[in-house]
Amino acid sequence: MLRLQNLSVQMGDAVLLRGISCALSRGEMLCIIGESGSGKTTLLRALQGLMPAHCDRFCFCPPGQPPVDLSGALPRGRGLRGTSWVMQDPLAALNPRRRIGASIAEGLYRDRLPPDRLKAAVTAALAEVELDAEFHDRYPAQISLGQAQRACLARALIARPALIFFDEPLSALDAMVQKQIAHRMDVLRRDRGLSYVVVTHDLGFAAAYADRILVLHKGRVAAFQDKQAFFAAPASAYARSLIGAAQALGSLTPVGAAA
Amino acid sequence: MQTATATAAPGWAPVSAMRLFLRRLGVVLAAGGLVALAGFWLTPYAPGGADFLNRLSPPGRAHWFGTDQLGRDIATRILYGGLWSLGLAFIVVTVGAVFGTLVGLVASRGGRVLDYALMRTTDSFFAFPELIAAVTVAGLFGPGTFNLMLALILVSWMKFARLVRSLSLSLAQRDFITQAQLNGLPEWRILWHHYLPNIAPGVLVLWTNSWSRTILAISGLSFLGFGVQPPNAEWGAMLLDGKAHMQTAPHIMIFPGLAVLSAVLAINLVGDRLRDLLAEQHQP
Repeated sequence: MLRLQNLSVQMGDAVLLRGISCALSRGEMLCIIGESGSGKTTLLRALQGLMPAHCDRFCFCPPGQPPVDLSGALPRGRGLRGTSWVMQDPLAALNPRRRIGASIAEGLYRDRLPPDRLKAAVTAALAEVELDAEFHDRYPAQISLGQAQRACLARALIARPALIFFDEPLSALDAMVQKQIAHRMDVLRRDRGLSYVVVTHDLGFAAAYADRILVLHKGRVAAFQDKQAFFAAPASAYARSLIGAAQALGSLTPVGAAA
Repeated sequence: MQTATATAAPGWAPVSAMRLFLRRLGVVLAAGGLVALAGFWLTPYAPGGADFLNRLSPPGRAHWFGTDQLGRDIATRILYGGLWSLGLAFIVVTVGAVFGTLVGLVASRGGRVLDYALMRTTDSFFAFPELIAAVTVAGLFGPGTFNLMLALILVSWMKFARLVRSLSLSLAQRDFITQAQLNGLPEWRILWHHYLPNIAPGVLVLWTNSWSRTILAISGLSFLGFGVQPPNAEWGAMLLDGKAHMQTAPHIMIFPGLAVLSAVLAINLVGDRLRDLLAEQHQP
């Protein structure tokens, strides 16, 4: 459904990403892993048209929408239709002076729904992320971080996208909430046949939920493999050291038990 | 399925500090307004009504604040003068705030060339001290209320433009703005729903601050003879009237001076409190 061939991002003289190729089918989850500064977030921003990016071939064919198939420079500034984006810091991603319901409703702005149907859609989206309808009228300062991330997830879901990008969606949250939201994300993906692209530092999370894994290192692909293949036989020395580090810290059980 | 609920403990409906403050402010303003209205209605004197038998009489039962050199009742004149001093400054600052906010928004959102042009214009307006600007306008077009307002508006908008521009530039980096753009919201909607609500508190605080400063400026300029002209009862103009009799009848100057002082002090105190409350409002 999503296919990139040789994507590169260049800002002035600095090459931020080079030769990124990957692919993702419908209903799959791709985890992007790498250290800080390896270009994970840059890749998401480039795919949303927020960075000047260049691609030999870029295909995105969400069901029920005209497919996108282009080569050369990616279009800037409009966002990739049929996708949405959940950011790392949920409180920064919500306007502090706007009610949660209004923020979530923005995900459906393009549909121009009448107010009553819009409100019903927001209530339904809140229910999907296990939030009560009364969160409609709350301000971000009145809810917890986990609830705020659920609200951001609701905003991402409400427009019925085929693909959702997550930029470290769990790293601001405590372990209990991480587990609940990760589980909820997984259930929604299976129920709806959604595809996910998740940037994460957490190899344990990737081991539990991902189908494919893309490792970035210094703006290049260090590995792009199926999850089983990745944990059994990492494609590069860097990927192997990454797994080793995660095992040493105890966030990942030794190879074999993971999958 | 476990559901995160959002319920406040029953019996606890805490009134926010902001709401409490606005409620008290409303009561005080209503009380003050009622007293002023009663004054307009009940005073037996006209603001320009001379009474030559009663010149320079000290404060007493017939004239609470005494009379001036033409025998006019000072208390009545302070009431009417309040309309001039507070009202003119209110109009000047509001026009300046709206214009400055527009300039700041356009500068921050309109591209590099526009930003440069607008901000250098702002800088050059900053180079005029407001007194000099008012004196210049008075010299060019003659002294008068309208020219005074024109001059003060000309030098009142720049602070707003600078503040709004810097607030808006830092907002542009925030994630929720990016989300709104990706969701296809048009620019005017983003400005209205995302920029303005986050800019408004800062503008409001600057607005109260500028209001009190403008009251001082109008009174000062009227005192110098460039602004509201006698016989109109403006507080600064009343001070000018009383200057010649300062030694023998100080009450002619004391009461208008106290009026200016208390108005400016009250507005500043409200502005400070508002700033504190707005800073914590909606913050986690």
